[in-house]
Amino acid sequence: MTAQEQEALFRRWLKEHLGLMLKVVRGCATAPPDQDDLFQDILLQLWSSIPSFRGEAKETTWIYRVAFNTALAWQRGERRRREKQEIFLRLDTSPQVQPSHVDSLPEQEIVERLYAAIRQLPKVDTSLALMHLDGLSYQEMAEVLGISENYVGVKLNRIRKQLADQLKGATDEL
Amino acid sequence: MNFEAMQKAWQSQDPGAKVTINVNVLLNEVRHNQQHFRATIFWRDVREVGSAALMTVGFLVWGLRCHWWSFYLLAFACFEVGVFFVVDRRIQHRKQPVHNDSLQSCIEASLFQINHQIWLLRNVLWWYLLPPIIGIGAVLAQTLWTARGAGLAFLITIGAVFIITYGFTYGFVYWLNQRAVKKQLEPRRQELETLLAGLKEPRNQPLMDADGR
Repeated sequence: MTAQEQEALFRRWLKEHLGLMLKVVRGCATAPPDQDDLFQDILLQLWSSIPSFRGEAKETTWIYRVAFNTALAWQRGERRRREKQEIFLRLDTSPQVQPSHVDSLPEQEIVERLYAAIRQLPKVDTSLALMHLDGLSYQEMAEVLGISENYVGVKLNRIRKQLADQLKGATDEL
Repeated sequence: MNFEAMQKAWQSQDPGAKVTINVNVLLNEVRHNQQHFRATIFWRDVREVGSAALMTVGFLVWGLRCHWWSFYLLAFACFEVGVFFVVDRRIQHRKQPVHNDSLQSCIEASLFQINHQIWLLRNVLWWYLLPPIIGIGAVLAQTLWTARGAGLAFLITIGAVFIITYGFTYGFVYWLNQRAVKKQLEPRRQELETLLAGLKEPRNQPLMDADGR
């Protein structure tokens, strides 16, 4: 892969899959500086991963893998010093619900509560919850995590119950 | 609230709406970071292997000049440490975690690295500290033997200075390494083991899908 091809693919991924990366960032880090730091790490790892991308895996599966692996390796409080770096990113990761209907505020509230509930899950379950909510198939989730589809099903069953329980009180208030 | 409603709300979000990225600056940044990372690794190796090589040559030359066999032993000890660094780095380089691998493989590779790092630091006495200690001990012995006519008090003073200086330095290095294992590596290993356990399919687990069937 040439440098130009790498750059073109990176630009396209940024354009098409930015939302996916930001969901992972918000699901794995709470404080804005941590989110900013994790997001930058994911972008750096994604850039480094491009030369090994042969198109055998789906792009979303690939990006999820890089993002989750980076998020798991990333440790809060180990932020790199970026003060001297040029600012390439202005990040406000609060989710914006598409204003498709008038009563979209409750949906935004639900999303906020979902993020809060997801962050309470163990790290591996966080990955699964994020992918499941995004509508990935069992096979895709199994590929990202490296576990069997059956086990994905078992874990999702538990995760759905946990999320429903945590949101039960929240949705009653809405 | 059912899961489909959660999913609908989730998928209606546009998390990228408030993000502004200067792609050109970002690209410069990622390239710079990659180069910086490679340079850091390169200079770390140069520092470690280079200093071992430099000391090997230095002690060898010193030994040749004054015909002290103990300096040959010290040079060999430094050479052994340098070779150990090179061989270990080469073996470990092949086993580094790949970020586009599956989560389970990536965690396993990270765990392998952490375990190896712990092994290295726990055994730092045997591969890093002891060979030079033996060499330094030999130099001390030869020094004392050569100066045996200078009186017992002088010999004891020289011996004590050697032992205290090197004992303190090497003891401190050993303590630092064991502290790093306890404070940094062990917690990370436990974290990785917990993550891996979360991905391991338990035996006798009833199979069901997300709908509980």
